[in-house]
Amino acid sequence: MPHNNNRRINRREFLRQSTIAATAFTAGLSAKLSYAAKRRKAGAGKKVIIIGIDGMDPRLSERMMNAGMLPSFDKLRKLGGYRVLGTSIPPQSPVAWANFINGAGPGSHGIFDFIHRHPEKQCVPFFAVAETVGGAGYWEIGEHKLQLDFWPFNHKPPATLLRRQGVPFWDYLDEAGIDSTFYDLPSNYPSSPSEHGHHRCLSGLGTPDMLGTYGTYQHFAEDGPIRTKEEGGGKRSMIFFEDETAGAKLIGPRNNFLKDREAATIDFSIYRDKQADAAVIQIQKHKILLKQGQWSQWLKLDFEMSMPAFMPNKHISGICRFYLQEVSPNFRLYASPINSDPSDSALKITEPPEFIKEISNRLGLFYTTGFQEDHKALTNKVFTDDEYRIQAGMVLQERLNLLKYALENYEEGLLFFYFSSTDLQSHMFWWDSEEEHPTRSADVAKKYFDRIKKLYRRLDSVLGDILERYGDEATIIAMSDHGFANFKRQFNLNTWLRDNGYLHPPDSTSILQYVDWSKTRAYGLGINGLYLNLKGRERDGIVEPGQQREELIRELMSRLEAVRDINGRRVIRKVHRTDKAYCGPATALAPDLVVGYRRDYRASWATCLGDMTKEVLLDNDSAWSADHCADVLEVPGVVFSNRRIGAGAPALVDMAPSILTEFGLKTPPSMTGKNIFKT
Amino acid sequence: MSFFAQIITWINVPMNGLGKFLLAPIGVLPGWLSNTIISAVVGLVLLIIFKYTSNQRAIGMVRDNIKANMLALKLFKDSISVTLGAQGRVFRGAGLLLLHAIRPMLVMIVPVSLLLAQLGLWYQSRPLLPGERTIVTMKLNSNVDSPWPRVSIKSIPGAQVMIGPVRAFNEREICWKIKADNAGRHHIVFQVDQQQIEKELAIGDGFMRVSAERPGWQWSDIMLHPLEKPFGPDSVVQSISINYPDRLSKTSGTDWWLVYFFVASLVFALIFKPFLRVRI
Repeated sequence: MPHNNNRRINRREFLRQSTIAATAFTAGLSAKLSYAAKRRKAGAGKKVIIIGIDGMDPRLSERMMNAGMLPSFDKLRKLGGYRVLGTSIPPQSPVAWANFINGAGPGSHGIFDFIHRHPEKQCVPFFAVAETVGGAGYWEIGEHKLQLDFWPFNHKPPATLLRRQGVPFWDYLDEAGIDSTFYDLPSNYPSSPSEHGHHRCLSGLGTPDMLGTYGTYQHFAEDGPIRTKEEGGGKRSMIFFEDETAGAKLIGPRNNFLKDREAATIDFSIYRDKQADAAVIQIQKHKILLKQGQWSQWLKLDFEMSMPAFMPNKHISGICRFYLQEVSPNFRLYASPINSDPSDSALKITEPPEFIKEISNRLGLFYTTGFQEDHKALTNKVFTDDEYRIQAGMVLQERLNLLKYALENYEEGLLFFYFSSTDLQSHMFWWDSEEEHPTRSADVAKKYFDRIKKLYRRLDSVLGDILERYGDEATIIAMSDHGFANFKRQFNLNTWLRDNGYLHPPDSTSILQYVDWSKTRAYGLGINGLYLNLKGRERDGIVEPGQQREELIRELMSRLEAVRDINGRRVIRKVHRTDKAYCGPATALAPDLVVGYRRDYRASWATCLGDMTKEVLLDNDSAWSADHCADVLEVPGVVFSNRRIGAGAPALVDMAPSILTEFGLKTPPSMTGKNIFKT
Repeated sequence: MSFFAQIITWINVPMNGLGKFLLAPIGVLPGWLSNTIISAVVGLVLLIIFKYTSNQRAIGMVRDNIKANMLALKLFKDSISVTLGAQGRVFRGAGLLLLHAIRPMLVMIVPVSLLLAQLGLWYQSRPLLPGERTIVTMKLNSNVDSPWPRVSIKSIPGAQVMIGPVRAFNEREICWKIKADNAGRHHIVFQVDQQQIEKELAIGDGFMRVSAERPGWQWSDIMLHPLEKPFGPDSVVQSISINYPDRLSKTSGTDWWLVYFFVASLVFALIFKPFLRVRI
């Protein structure tokens, strides 16, 4: 009986405890739901769609709107939703988009140019947004080195770090439980993590290819160099046909498990049939048949990384497209930069990491590098203007497919979508002047500038579709980071510094190879940056901080702003002191001065990486015939919205506070911008 | 080898007929279901074959012996000599079991291979979708001195030629890029000098029997590609293949269907084993 009693008590106890547990669970769930509801209250159901149109220019936009060529944009202008948008100092995309991301200037995010330098290494350059830092320690086995990041080895493998500092505005949305999704977001590689899981992002500008560069094409031609030749953004090789068959090697990512970090390669065969004006390419399991002038589909390629004998080899997947330019007499084959395979990405190009696979499951393979339009191929004369136009058109079509996917998967919260086409096509095709174009005749220059207008019209129709679909229920913003200007003349800052006695010796040709730092007071690196050789900061600094620094800065500013071209035109609009222009905690790597060029001028190609030319000012003879790395006031961007813009002179830094306000969130103190919708 | 090629060619004729009739449900069922059903039936049939072609009594004795030695391993784990002896006898028993499996394996290997070839027609590739493009490759005999024949596609119902013929001289191959237009089972007709030859082309959605290659006179190729009549040993054309797309599925897709089939048939065989009183 006692046993039975015990059992009865246990049952009662069980029921009692179950009831308590159920009540507690229900109460807990209600509290959690209520908490979640409170967190969501601010932005519940709110929709904000931002279309980032890199390089959309206010002058051209206004001309086209006045001519009735951009009806959707013009509709927003008439509603009071258009302003010229102030850009960043300097107006370079990584800097400008970082301003957008942080709602504050470069002093908050620490990106000042495409290229930065480590002062302790005396101007050794690295990519500003993402830097790959070498690991520490390894276990050497024959030709291989293994980095084991666990005890007892605790080696530190190399890592790619996002150098953008500060808090991106989506972190505030994430914390408030508001969903945000970004497609092709610049200045965010590797994708920053989402703490609360409400943020998704596909990285854009700054994302490398599988070779770790911003995009390296490979070109195979019968008249190519015998040894593979590197040229900025590409590699050229010669191929030799025997019985109309040739073998070639596609160069892939470097094998970090080898001591000499040799690149993994894939051998492939080309069979040419001159009579058919076509060729068969056999690469791994793919057999492709191309006629002259045809592009292949994306091909998945498997790069095998050799490992020590006791371990299986590693495999990295990349994707590539071939373009058969000519069959005979000079066989020419272009292979696109090897992009990270979106269906099996070896790089962290999305947050969360599986997001890229979700997209790829739906869209298949697509460009994943930041620079998708292969402008380097045009600059290096691998592409003709028309070939570039076609390749850029394919990129745009891929991005429009991605936009369709983005809209289909969008319910609420923030959606950001970025177009690079306006920037990278404008760099190559923009020319709004009667003056002579660097590489094209006047008629041809006009024909290609019309391509830019056509592109604007295409984006106008994209905007029109979005307005029609979401105009009544969402805040829609279309914006650019900067505008555009012709690039006719180039200014070699380092040559100017050398010729004016700031950089030694007088016969120096490169700051990376031949400089007497004990006499050099200033040097240029990147497109707009000018650095003092400051004592205590630079490894071999000689300029004393304080009075000497101040005098040198004033002297350089005044002399640079006085520089005139041979026709008497001023070259530089303004030289900005960064200690005045920037504020925030991330200024350690900032240049001392930012050179703001007038329209038609830009830093010379050579000066960006520290090389010097004979002359200070020379013609730009590159197909890259337009640019925006001028002064902040020369190339502002645009902002359009279906809401009235109250701010008189909004700037990029105002966008993040405006977005947060749309979702009912306060502007954090780290942001310097203001809500553009407030009158 | 020519003898084997001829034998397999003859066997393929009834096998194709049987496969078409018996495996027809694959065309209407979901891939995972059809492969599971086939695996269950095959597991059961192979188990019965195993029962009647193997020495069940001897297998039983070996298994009992293994059990006894396993027990000895448990009971006398303190004695090294007993443990080592028992372990040796367990290994010997395992070897004997393999030896006893040889006869049933020899009996089953040919029908299973023929069955797998028939299943491969359904699962290994998917037919082309209308609008999809692919490469058709004609391989010529390897006699480099023989002149290249005049080759063209005479008719290609349900599809169109986009590029070709393109010759890969070193490989003695002629390639075409074609684009599928209309669903159905079509025949591409090639004109090779004075001779006309055909290759089947499958276009459509879902499951269809897909013959990726019309093989040459090689017994292994004829075994792997049973659907179409092989080219004779003296034919100038040695094979014609079509790059069909992979079928993406972990249960009935390219390559995975085979893994799933083996695992599932093994599982079903183990399930049926006690009911049929088979000792493996």
